[in-house]
Amino acid sequence: MGQTIAEKILAAHGGLEAVRAGDVVVAAVDFAMLHDARASNALKMISRLGSGKGEVPLPFAAKTALVLDHYSPPPNIEAANVHRDMRAFADRYGTVLYDVGDGICHQVMPEGGHLTCGDLIVGTDTHSVTYGAFNAFGTGVEGTDLSAVMMTGKLWFRVPQTIRIELTGRLQPGVWAKDITLTMLGRFGAEGANYRALEYTGSAVSAMEIDDRMTLSNHAAELGAKAAILEADEKTFAWLKAHKARAPRPVQADKDAVYAERMEIDAAALAPQVARNHQVDDVIAVPEVSGQKINFALIGTCTNGRLDDIRQAARILKGHRIAKGVRMIVTPASRQVYLDAAREGLIEELTRAGASVEAAGCGTCVNITGHLIMGDGDVAISSANRNFKGRLGNSKSEIWIGSAATVAASALKGTITDPRDVIA
Amino acid sequence: MTSRIAGLARILPAEINTDINCSSKYLPGKDNAYIAQQAYEHVAPGFAARFKPGDVIVAGKNFGINSSREQAVHIMRLMGVAAIVAPAFGRQFFRNAINNGLPVVECDIDGIADGDHIAIALDAGTVEVSARGIARKVPALPPAVQRILAEGGLIPFLQKHPDWNLA
Repeated sequence: MGQTIAEKILAAHGGLEAVRAGDVVVAAVDFAMLHDARASNALKMISRLGSGKGEVPLPFAAKTALVLDHYSPPPNIEAANVHRDMRAFADRYGTVLYDVGDGICHQVMPEGGHLTCGDLIVGTDTHSVTYGAFNAFGTGVEGTDLSAVMMTGKLWFRVPQTIRIELTGRLQPGVWAKDITLTMLGRFGAEGANYRALEYTGSAVSAMEIDDRMTLSNHAAELGAKAAILEADEKTFAWLKAHKARAPRPVQADKDAVYAERMEIDAAALAPQVARNHQVDDVIAVPEVSGQKINFALIGTCTNGRLDDIRQAARILKGHRIAKGVRMIVTPASRQVYLDAAREGLIEELTRAGASVEAAGCGTCVNITGHLIMGDGDVAISSANRNFKGRLGNSKSEIWIGSAATVAASALKGTITDPRDVIA
Repeated sequence: MTSRIAGLARILPAEINTDINCSSKYLPGKDNAYIAQQAYEHVAPGFAARFKPGDVIVAGKNFGINSSREQAVHIMRLMGVAAIVAPAFGRQFFRNAINNGLPVVECDIDGIADGDHIAIALDAGTVEVSARGIARKVPALPPAVQRILAEGGLIPFLQKHPDWNLA
């Protein structure tokens, strides 16, 4: 019987010929990531490894990245102390360190060349599924898991069932990977893929650039996916090579692999989508809600803060001014994205149009830094991945989520707007 | 921890997000002991007061959904939760429970009521409420997971078996 991509990667890393969904394997991890919002728990768990008999060696530290991205910049002494402890830990154990302003963990991990096709990557964040865009098994873990990996380089995994999704046709101009996942969230519900791995294939995936593929894998976290893996192609290999990643070990599913489900979605038929009412799965097509007033527009986060997202926004806003009464923030996903956007003149175009461009980091996702608060009854349109009540600091305000193009078009008009209507 | 667990069933509804119900995410600065006293209050009033160490949480599907906070499991350990039975668990919650030595059993909960005596055999893969004539077969936890649970969680397991020897 054949195997899915997820099964093959876990089998190979467990030193096994084959595994089946439901099996538990102890598998060797290729690289690990710990970010600041989970660091205090993880560092506590690491300190328990020695059980009072002193410190244990952490041989996997050199293959672990510590990323200071959530408390960016730290809003209080407690967060600043977490950063101080992480820097000291990195110094002492030789972990890779990405400091405040370097970028979001899920952006700096691939940009830093820390992962490649066929890898098994763990990170202390549900959006670690992003690494699936590079044909890797990326998944979220917690502090105890991370401490085990740093000590042994291994971790236990229950092999997930896989859902195979074929995206046929290709997306229309103005429609993005974000709209695919929002469509799926509307159909299957939040956590509709809980515990399962997703395997994406089809002409619409091949047509996507790497930035949008990362969105596709990343946003699968809202579907509850344990991994969201794409097939590798020439675009993948070229990107990895340019970022000095290790040699790829591409993995394909067997023709007779066993899937929990197989589905087909016609990408060409999709329209821009938004999620509303504090729920990621209350999804509606943009044309049905156009005219809804917005006060705040946010572009950024690990879901949609990449160069292609900023390009979309700049293309829509270039030479214009955002609507009167709208506040807009753009947060590049990493220092590299920021530099690339600056070099292309996008930062200037967005700034002229009325947006404020902020230092790279998790910034616009959740109100950790305290500067995203809106007034009662205000409405934000955001390119983030979650719109839970109060996430931006006021539970009496609303958060709608959509693609970077939808956010930019809406900022331009001051109302939820279909980007296809304003693309130059 | 043994592979046989017996206690009173304490019922919680489906789709419980433990971040909201059993962590300091929305109670910044509160310690675990305080949160344990309030746990699940707004989905099952009086739950923490009723719950005694050794009791078993019996919950609807997707227990621990969305939650990646290991702290929720630390709090349940503090409450003395002996095991959790639910038709399905949130992914990260399932890992966190096992990593902290808290048995999680995937089982249909139909017909089980609050206060029922419930008996679980992790090795044999059975869940029984004999007073109601309920005897359900569940997939036994994989041996590797049983070993981690038997040592009280992943850290104590690795202290004994740094080579991951699950044999």
